[in-house]
Amino acid sequence: MAGIYVHVPFCKQKCTYCDFASYSREIGKAEAYFACLLKEIDSRALELKEKTFNTIYLGGGTPSFVKAEFIGATINRIKKVFSVTSDAEITIEINPGTLDEQKLAIYKAVGINRFSIGLQSAYDERLCSLNRIHTAEQFLYACSLLKGENISVDVMIGLKDQKIEEVKATIDLAIKGGANHISVYALTPEEGTPMFTTYLNGELPSEDETTELYDFARDYLSTLGFERYEVSNFAKKGFYSKHNLNYWRRGEYIGLGVAASSCIDDRRFTNTEKIDEYVHCLLNDKYAEIFSELIEGDEIKNEYIMLAMRTSEGIILSDYTKNFGSDFLIDYKREISDNQKYLDVCDYSVKIKDDYLYVQNQIIINFMKD
Amino acid sequence: MSKTPKNNVRNFCIVAHIDHGKSTLADRIIEMTGQVSQRDMENQILDSMDLERERGITIKLTPVTMYYKAKNGEEYKFNLIDTPGHVDFSYEVSRSLAACEGAILIVDSTQGVEAQTLANCYLALDNDLEIMPVLNKIDLASSRCDEVAKEIEDIIGLDASDAPRISAKNGINIEDVLEAIVNKIPAPVGDDDAPLKALIFDSYYDNFKGVICFVRIKDGKVKVGDRIRTYISDKQFDVTEVGVFSPHLQPRECLYSGDVGYIAASIKSIEDTNVGDTITLVNNPAPEPLPGYKKALPVVFSGVYPLDGSKFNDLKEALLKLKLNDAALSFEPDNSMALGFGFRRGFLGLLHMEIIQQRLEREFDLDIITTTPGVSYHVYKTGGEMILVNNPSKLPDPSEIEHIEEPVIKASIFTPPDYIGPIMELCKEKRGEMITMDYIDARRVCLQYKLPLNEIIFDFFDSLKSRTRGYASLDYELSGYQTSELVKLDMYLNGDICDALSVIVHKEKAYARGRAIAEKLKDVIPRQMFEIPVQAAVGGKIIARETVKALRKDVLAKCYGGDITRKKKLLEKQKEGKKKMRKLGSVEIPSEAFMSILKIDSDN
Repeated sequence: MAGIYVHVPFCKQKCTYCDFASYSREIGKAEAYFACLLKEIDSRALELKEKTFNTIYLGGGTPSFVKAEFIGATINRIKKVFSVTSDAEITIEINPGTLDEQKLAIYKAVGINRFSIGLQSAYDERLCSLNRIHTAEQFLYACSLLKGENISVDVMIGLKDQKIEEVKATIDLAIKGGANHISVYALTPEEGTPMFTTYLNGELPSEDETTELYDFARDYLSTLGFERYEVSNFAKKGFYSKHNLNYWRRGEYIGLGVAASSCIDDRRFTNTEKIDEYVHCLLNDKYAEIFSELIEGDEIKNEYIMLAMRTSEGIILSDYTKNFGSDFLIDYKREISDNQKYLDVCDYSVKIKDDYLYVQNQIIINFMKD
Repeated sequence: MSKTPKNNVRNFCIVAHIDHGKSTLADRIIEMTGQVSQRDMENQILDSMDLERERGITIKLTPVTMYYKAKNGEEYKFNLIDTPGHVDFSYEVSRSLAACEGAILIVDSTQGVEAQTLANCYLALDNDLEIMPVLNKIDLASSRCDEVAKEIEDIIGLDASDAPRISAKNGINIEDVLEAIVNKIPAPVGDDDAPLKALIFDSYYDNFKGVICFVRIKDGKVKVGDRIRTYISDKQFDVTEVGVFSPHLQPRECLYSGDVGYIAASIKSIEDTNVGDTITLVNNPAPEPLPGYKKALPVVFSGVYPLDGSKFNDLKEALLKLKLNDAALSFEPDNSMALGFGFRRGFLGLLHMEIIQQRLEREFDLDIITTTPGVSYHVYKTGGEMILVNNPSKLPDPSEIEHIEEPVIKASIFTPPDYIGPIMELCKEKRGEMITMDYIDARRVCLQYKLPLNEIIFDFFDSLKSRTRGYASLDYELSGYQTSELVKLDMYLNGDICDALSVIVHKEKAYARGRAIAEKLKDVIPRQMFEIPVQAAVGGKIIARETVKALRKDVLAKCYGGDITRKKKLLEKQKEGKKKMRKLGSVEIPSEAFMSILKIDSDN
């Protein structure tokens, strides 16, 4: 099974930490963009007609910011030309400040069944300083519209002067809104964002302080019945994100739209970040790929391990064997023994011990071949 | 080209304090005599190694032969011998001075006479050279030629009233210098028909010709086909090529007394051509060699280990190749419990060490670990036997030691009087004993100190500069050994002793230094999966402890979708970084850690 990712590069205003391909002054190009997106969908579907897809994910930007009709048309077209399973997980990212009943009606009508809400913080002053366009109140309103739906909420940690109380309040608010899946992301200051200046000024918490917040979130979510199934993702049983799990199992996916990445038949490729370039290419019956790389040999294993080790399941031995035709315990005998202190090894899987999941890079790099 | 009459030959060098414009003046002289076309002129042409140009210092000596048509209508042959400007290389300087009849003494007219000006000037006087002062940097607003001319007279006792006043940088009054060379520096004396005496003042290894000896012919002549022998190494060779420097090698038929040039004789080892040695003819030997030969003695020692233990042979090859070019470098195999097989190297000084270090990394692309530099101790054992110890891990058990002697230096520090206080304080911290303090004039004092060498090889020079806002300058010479209360300071990482980090220190400084090293190591050792105690110990007793806390967060953020390629690159980079680390027991240490403890300011 494979996944489909659709990128919607529009937003009302840019958050201070955001370095994704998202543009706050380009909404006028939405019509042209979605027209080209449909072209890309048709064309990719032809190439991939042998493959079956069980997840669709609309990310951004703010997919809920653009006209719902664009979203509806996109999903409908995907379902029409790709082979999408009837029980597919279809997720849309929502900014609470942009959702209304009419939009939601269209989303539901085309089969969207999972709503990933960017909350980030329960504190309005924080939301304001991050240049978010919504309040905690608006979050609850959006949740009230989504009542009974499958809701995921994003929570940020590692923000300036952030205390455990804020993380707790945010998780509490997410629960109140009905979340059954919560992602806890540590802020990564990216160059070129306003947040980077804050970082350079030394105003962000240290890694140890961020780890305190993370540990709190992990423990607190555990008491609330959320399992950590990946280093940053927590969910109630049965609510794991299939789309993301596909990434971590190194499954195949096709990315559509600007800045979208794909991995098909071990070829990784990425589209341009620029809307104009994307539109130009598609209008000229070309893809807008700016990067393409065939992953071969040990590189495939490196990727597989780097991704799988993020999950609490770790390397599932049978899945490894299915992918590579050999036994993980034999292929990595030395690495496993060198790192045994940090690993749980059983008949079924090899995974990083809970306590070391947050320092996993140190372990993963020992498994990567040159 | 016909042979220039001896009367029209001038052999000279340029001596100066560092940065007073020596290489720049050399460039101008070469340019003015048309030796190198403007087009080929690269600034500081004599500093041919990249490293030299980068650091603005001269390491290897590079002579050059030029022709100058003087105002009196005659053509003169100039042999300019460039000299290294750093105290580490003072022996090399003295030998190249011995190849000359005169020296241009450049003094920065904004700075005046500095320690090295004096030191080099005395060296030149020792070699009976005619010294010709030149005042440089007259283009600068802060130039004060009259005062500095008086200073030269007062301090050195040279008449500087008619010294050329120039700007080497801007090419002002360079001709005055050329004329002064003709008029003031004596022509060489020597007898073409006497037995050959050629002074080796430098040499380097050429892949095709073997060792190229830079020589000054004092007496006699030498040509291709002559069978020659060296005095010190007592080896015989057949001359394959002789010539001059333009500044590249330019073969000639014969070199005569008074000439400066080179001899190639398919010599395989640079150790056969010691600087200061004399070359003569086998069938008509000179009865005795030229005076003044000294073997270059290493004074600073440090270990070098390949980061990757399997590269030991590459390191050995690289050292052998460097040795071809650098007779002052010595090394012998060594091994460390912590670092495996490597070498213990001896250097003329810290600068020399740094240069070798960088050349190993740049020219041979080796990842190496250098251990803390130290000096060579005379250790007297209870049985009366004396052993030389230049590797802390080889120091015998304290119970077997009767006493230890450490090398001391005589340091001459020149400073404006304002900084006497801070300098005395610094020297006291460094266990110095004052010998004398002389007021040279109202603005300049010379402090002479006896200091243990191992105190100054660390950060003495930097501290001196920072405490005197750059005004003080330093020159030193080794002056023997003295008994001292020394102990071995050991470092433990995660409970295991790390012999490569051991140092020999004075007993009273062990605590402070142990603490400082532990603190420094705590900062340079990256956090790892577990807590790492860093301990300093003397004679098994722990005197300081720091802790490298366990790593708590090392994870790629938001790893999904398109990020994967970029995130994978991040991990690969992290893996590369790990390769640059050396594993000691279970602890990974970056190679810089070994050197970083050098940079500990002893004040903290």
